[in-house]
Amino acid sequence: MNVAIIGCGVMGKMHAEMAVRCGLKVVVCADNFQKAANELAQKYGADSTNNSQPALSRDDVDIVVIATPTTTHAALVQAAAKEGKHIFCEKPFCRTVAECKSSIDVAKEHGVKLFIGHVVRYFQEFEAVRAQLQQGVVGEPGFAHLYRGGAYPAGQDNWFQNYKLSGGVTLDCMIHDLDWIRFVFGEPERIFCQALQRSNPETLDYSQVTMRMKSGLIAKVIGTWAHPSGFHVKIEVCGSKGMVQFDSNDVPLTSERRGEGAAVGTIVPSSPVLKSPYLLEWEDFLGWLEGRHEPRVTPEDGLHAVAMATAALKSAETKAPVTL
Amino acid sequence: MKDVRIGIMSFAHMHAFSYAASLNQLPEATLAGIWDDDPKRGQDMAKQFNTQFVASLDDFLASDIAGVIICSENNKHRALVEKAAAAGKWILCEKPLSPKVEDAQAMIDACKKAGVGLGTAFPCRFIPSIMAAREQIRAGHIGEVLAIACTNHGQNPGGWFVEEAESGGGATMDHTVHVVDVLRWMLDREFKKVYCELGNQLHGESLKTDDLGSLNMEMDGGIQVSHLASWSRPQSFPTWGDVTLEFIGTEGVLNVDAFNQKLDVFDDANMRHAWVGWGDNPDLGLVTDFVRAVAKREAPSVTGEDGLRATEVTVAAYKAANAKEMVSV
Ligand SMILES: NC(=O)c1ccc[n+]([C@@H]2O[C@H](COP(=O)([O-])OP(=O)(O)OC[C@H]3O[C@@H](n4cnc5c(N)ncnc54)[C@H](O)[C@@H]3O)[C@@H](O)[C@H]2O)c1
Repeated sequence: MNVAIIGCGVMGKMHAEMAVRCGLKVVVCADNFQKAANELAQKYGADSTNNSQPALSRDDVDIVVIATPTTTHAALVQAAAKEGKHIFCEKPFCRTVAECKSSIDVAKEHGVKLFIGHVVRYFQEFEAVRAQLQQGVVGEPGFAHLYRGGAYPAGQDNWFQNYKLSGGVTLDCMIHDLDWIRFVFGEPERIFCQALQRSNPETLDYSQVTMRMKSGLIAKVIGTWAHPSGFHVKIEVCGSKGMVQFDSNDVPLTSERRGEGAAVGTIVPSSPVLKSPYLLEWEDFLGWLEGRHEPRVTPEDGLHAVAMATAALKSAETKAPVTL
Repeated sequence: MKDVRIGIMSFAHMHAFSYAASLNQLPEATLAGIWDDDPKRGQDMAKQFNTQFVASLDDFLASDIAGVIICSENNKHRALVEKAAAAGKWILCEKPLSPKVEDAQAMIDACKKAGVGLGTAFPCRFIPSIMAAREQIRAGHIGEVLAIACTNHGQNPGGWFVEEAESGGGATMDHTVHVVDVLRWMLDREFKKVYCELGNQLHGESLKTDDLGSLNMEMDGGIQVSHLASWSRPQSFPTWGDVTLEFIGTEGVLNVDAFNQKLDVFDDANMRHAWVGWGDNPDLGLVTDFVRAVAKREAPSVTGEDGLRATEVTVAAYKAANAKEMVSV
């Protein structure tokens, strides 16, 4: 199967690599920013274009990867679906719930498979936590505390800083945890959020959520794009019989360079795994396309995640809880 | 040095152990006696801490002690403070000063009227990492503070703590006031608004109060603050709990994990992995400050008003949880 990459930034590059590792061929790379398209296309011997429409309508394309800024997802998903292509769309699925709905409808109408990249469902540490919960180690889970983030993401033309476009850390980053919480603990009841969304004079976002699930579980979720550097993830789930915790600062490998140069004095931590969660996500997607199994993430999951993040943003604006 | 004679009223709250030990450690102070409405407990404690047990409250308050530390159940704080104040004693009262705003106010009024100093036992102000964080923040190290995320987790204390009539509330009552006080002290700002989800879900039927509060608050100037108060740490957890604070500022971030000065101890005999703290004892700082206040006839550093402010925020949290909306403090 052949792949078109739409949006050749951070995630577009990642997905091109994963697709190739799965034995697929990247045949065309599209990006408004021609240079980005050219660079990625060159790496894989693909064509390049600054116009997504001809890329996703090519006869030799089977799968369209959408890795552009969030507000462009709906139009691109629908355009690809109308061309009969299967779609791998980055999270957040769309900017609004209504866009998610219409995109699901269009995909159904044209009989194409639509996958949303909620990659956290594939992270080994998150799966290990889920396994502990399934084994009943913590008993009945009563609360979960999730934390994610670090430095402000760059993004082409600083698109993340336009909070109307990106939804800030809440919609773009915390959505991973909101989705995972729903994946593991079921549907949400009520959500309260405070979000900094600051762009002047400093560019910072910090989002603090309290969420009540229908099961009664209380979740506290913190998302940060307010740190000077780094990336930090923490998970804690507490229940009647015990507790499970994960902290990404605990790593099996660190390195630091001696001598001259920029990297000196910086301790570089890493936690290597044999299979990247992005690869696992691709294998799941392809297994679904080949009819081998159902995917771990459905388009409806993507919609619900957007609904939760949207509710959080509304709560932050109104300073009142939003019932889902 | 002048001998400052201090008495302890009730050992219902386990912090009394640490205050008694601190008094015995201080050369300038004497643990002059213990009164307790549970005479057996009072006698045992008097023996353990090498002091006398006084069975009658009137005799106890008529003695030459200059100050008292009150460690009764929360609901008894007011009556004991009022009695001690009327007897002219300086008072350090265990937190929360009271679970009720009107009681806390009455205690402050009684002490003012009697001309005695009233302190609230918030030992977190005497933790060196918290003191250093305060200095850094006030020196502008991270610029203007915009957002804060806190936790104060612990284990289920059981006993009267879980009887609402005596404690006034569960984990949220127990574990909100410390961070509220620390933040007010660090930033010189008050809390304005509170939202809270309360849970009673980690201990099943055995617990009638809340064991978890997830709070979102707003301080003066719009600082957004989240807090988790809980009795969620399992029995097998290596320590009692934590106090953590993450500050987001315009020029940087600052993190406090106040009890993270610890040894990992692996004990085969008890099949236990424990964290053993090696840092300075904050209770010693708190008691030293109280003894100084008594000697100088001054107010303790952490006052009754500080206790009242923290109670106001906690009471608002319970109100918000019932109303399912953000409420004003
Ligand atoms: N799953 C994850 O771990 C993860 C991590 C980061 C970002 N994301 C998501 O991936 C998506 C892309 O984020 P990114 O970090 O790669 O951003 P990025 O800015 O690095 O890349 C986006 C690229 O899209 C291009 N582009 C913009 N509009 C376009 C259009 N209409 N047609 C074609 N190209 C267009 C830009 O020029 C840019 O090169 C976002 O939805 C983001 O939320 C996911």
